[in-house]
Amino acid sequence: MTRYIIRRILSMIPVLIFISLVTFALAHAVPGGPFDREKPLPAEIKANLNRYYGLDQPLWKQYTDWIGLTRNPSGEYAGVLQFKFGPSYSSRSRTVNDIFRAHLPVSAQLGFWALCIAVGMGVPLGIIAALKQNSFWDYFSMAIAIFGVSVPNIVLGPIFILIFALTLGWFPVAGWGTPAQMVMPAFALGLNSSALIARLTRASMLQVIREDYIRTARAKGLAERVVIIRHALKNAFIPVATILGPMFAALLTGTFVVEQIFAIPGMGKYFITSITNRDYPVVMGTTLLYAVFLVIANLIVDITYAYLDPRIHYE
Amino acid sequence: MLSKKRMYWVVAIVIAVATILSGCAGAKGGGKVLRVNLGTEPPTLDPALATDTTSVQCDEVLFLGLTDFDDKTVEVIPELATEWSVSPDGLVWTFKMRKDVEWVHYDPVKKKVEKKGKVTAHDIVYGVRRTVDPATASDYAYVDYIIKNAEAINTGKNTDLNSLGVRAVDDYTVEFTLEQPAGYFPGIAGMWVNRPQPRQPIEQFGDKWTEPGNIWTNGPYMLETWEHESKMVFVKNPYYVNAKNVDIDRVEAVMVVEESTAFAMYENGELDVVGVPSTEMERVKSDPVLSKELYIAPYLCTYYYGFNVSKPPMDNVKLRLALSYAIDRQKLVDTVLKGGQRPAKTFACPGIFGSPADDPNFVGVSYDPAKAKQLLAESGYTGTPEITLMFNTSEGHQRIAEFIQRGWKETLGIDVKLANQEWKVYLQTVNTDAPQIYRLGWCADYPDENNWVLENFHPTKGSNNPKWSPDDPAAQRFMKAVEDAAAASDPKERARLYFEAEKILVEEQAIIAPIYYYTRVVVTKPYVQRTYAPLGGEHWDKWKITK
Repeated sequence: MTRYIIRRILSMIPVLIFISLVTFALAHAVPGGPFDREKPLPAEIKANLNRYYGLDQPLWKQYTDWIGLTRNPSGEYAGVLQFKFGPSYSSRSRTVNDIFRAHLPVSAQLGFWALCIAVGMGVPLGIIAALKQNSFWDYFSMAIAIFGVSVPNIVLGPIFILIFALTLGWFPVAGWGTPAQMVMPAFALGLNSSALIARLTRASMLQVIREDYIRTARAKGLAERVVIIRHALKNAFIPVATILGPMFAALLTGTFVVEQIFAIPGMGKYFITSITNRDYPVVMGTTLLYAVFLVIANLIVDITYAYLDPRIHYE
Repeated sequence: MLSKKRMYWVVAIVIAVATILSGCAGAKGGGKVLRVNLGTEPPTLDPALATDTTSVQCDEVLFLGLTDFDDKTVEVIPELATEWSVSPDGLVWTFKMRKDVEWVHYDPVKKKVEKKGKVTAHDIVYGVRRTVDPATASDYAYVDYIIKNAEAINTGKNTDLNSLGVRAVDDYTVEFTLEQPAGYFPGIAGMWVNRPQPRQPIEQFGDKWTEPGNIWTNGPYMLETWEHESKMVFVKNPYYVNAKNVDIDRVEAVMVVEESTAFAMYENGELDVVGVPSTEMERVKSDPVLSKELYIAPYLCTYYYGFNVSKPPMDNVKLRLALSYAIDRQKLVDTVLKGGQRPAKTFACPGIFGSPADDPNFVGVSYDPAKAKQLLAESGYTGTPEITLMFNTSEGHQRIAEFIQRGWKETLGIDVKLANQEWKVYLQTVNTDAPQIYRLGWCADYPDENNWVLENFHPTKGSNNPKWSPDDPAAQRFMKAVEDAAAASDPKERARLYFEAEKILVEEQAIIAPIYYYTRVVVTKPYVQRTYAPLGGEHWDKWKITK
């Protein structure tokens, strides 16, 4: 198992290099640059800015500087290898590292609670629906799930604000810092995922409870609770675990819409605005960050498989 | 098994505790508090680097300039300067400064204010030099190109920073030498790029000198908190020269991008002032409470369509005029924009020095379908080559373009194709090879026609997106008018020349079709007495809270 994990981690390196290369090439291939303004800057001012940020260097050199393999124009090795992700063109006093430090914990916190809501609501709803198939509870759970899947959070957010902040006055409208401010965004973010999880749990649970080994467990005289939780759910959880990986990566690295609606200082907006601003180091940083989260999340999912299903072995 | 479970619990508890603790920090200070929305994170607080309205808003309350603009009249008024004079040849401007303005450093942890010495002419010289120094890489350095040697230094042709045309005659007198006479210079002298800058923290902290705890300021407010992308807190500067008249002790500025969220916060009593989203306009106007809190303030910007006159059929002046006369600007405002905007008949909006917008003698363009039809017939345009109107991708621009496209079809029978591009791609297109008709807006950097007609449309000195040929006789008349106006110092003469220039640009040649003058639609709680800054950069120090 340890060898397998080490091998997987090593194989991440070429994947990440490939992603960074493609991102770098795409970002620079898009027309327009970070210093294009409504009133075009005089050529000399643009040249000053390009020199300041090393954008006057050949492209390959900009890339190797960013990786940290070559000395940048100020004569330092300051790249990913040195854990330096470069400056931000649109926020002059901050580096990409500063942005990660300030905003990643916010997004991760929000994502964590959203994930708790997603799993905490989705799994029980799915189980109930499967066990009481075609009953009121099934229809009720699935109605909630369909609502959650089909109402996007761009609609959900303002509805929450209208009901819980403006009408009932339970929570502040927006902002970040107090637990009360986290409730609405966490639900707006988690509800959608919980609906997905509920539907998936139900489907896979329905399949598992018809398996022979469940009948065997029941025949042994095990309590229904034990049959369901220890035997059925564990197996039924495999497809759920599969989608939890990417869901985890997506929720923890920030989500644009919910962060925007609730004015949360998270990472989400940087994924979008860095591209529209042609803020290359931020584009590279956010993409790499998401890639790392995704690759690690998938690795964790693969390891969980071995725990969930004893038939799965890794050599 | 157990240990693993325990670990999950530990992680969950740590996160839960962190969540709760982070919510406890930041107790409120006493005194009068104003709560506003900045709308976005200011990209910088460094006066040498600021280019956008949010950064300029923050700099306005942190740093004083030699001059400022009056909120009502948009005239240049003294701020750090007490008086100024110009040499007979119009090249040397001398500003006498007040001697009682202190630099202050605020320690946000200990909540302690410390004086750091007087603001002197040397700080202005340092600031101007730093802006022009190519190593600073300031976007807005070009507004200083009117100062002697600024362009040569900024472009690296001259490496002697001391040769820049700014010097301290004594501790409280600063003198600027210009490349050529410029009647509008007092306005430039007070712009953020030319404000005094504090050498010590800049040299000590580099790019981080604007963070709370590092920064020195001299304006009515000091920076207490800057939680990036979240909020800033400004506290009253007790050593500010006019501190006894500053009513509001603390300004809490959030950065809510989503307009409708900010508006909900206002309705929920979490903000004292907010912009009204266009989708809420109807409701605000009909609501008995909100309609009393509503104010539509002019904002010094113009929305316009430019014609690339080098591309057929836009080289046909009659056709350009026909298109401009066929835009029903008032109906556009009433049915599409709904924000109380004013139909534009000039490029520079009212409030800009030299703009003939409010001059009854200035005809300009307005909606006149009969005249448009007649001009089209005279132009001989029959539908080929096809015309494309381009704008940057946005729902708002799309709606405006569709309205105007329909108007042209109905009035003139011309089919115009619409196209759009993402903002940065679009900017590159417009700046290098503008489409036949392109959309842009322009906002004042300083309220003088020079910033409008010369900097945008002068065929050689401006950005000239319409590709107006300097050999065109009309262009030559335009060039002469705007160059003479820039150099003249008599305001009457300057106004007369700009009248002439606008007439050529809009009414005679239709290089552009001005569409509307911007407004800013805001609601303010009744307990806030406020001013409205038409240039942006609100003077919170002049506001009062009465509750």
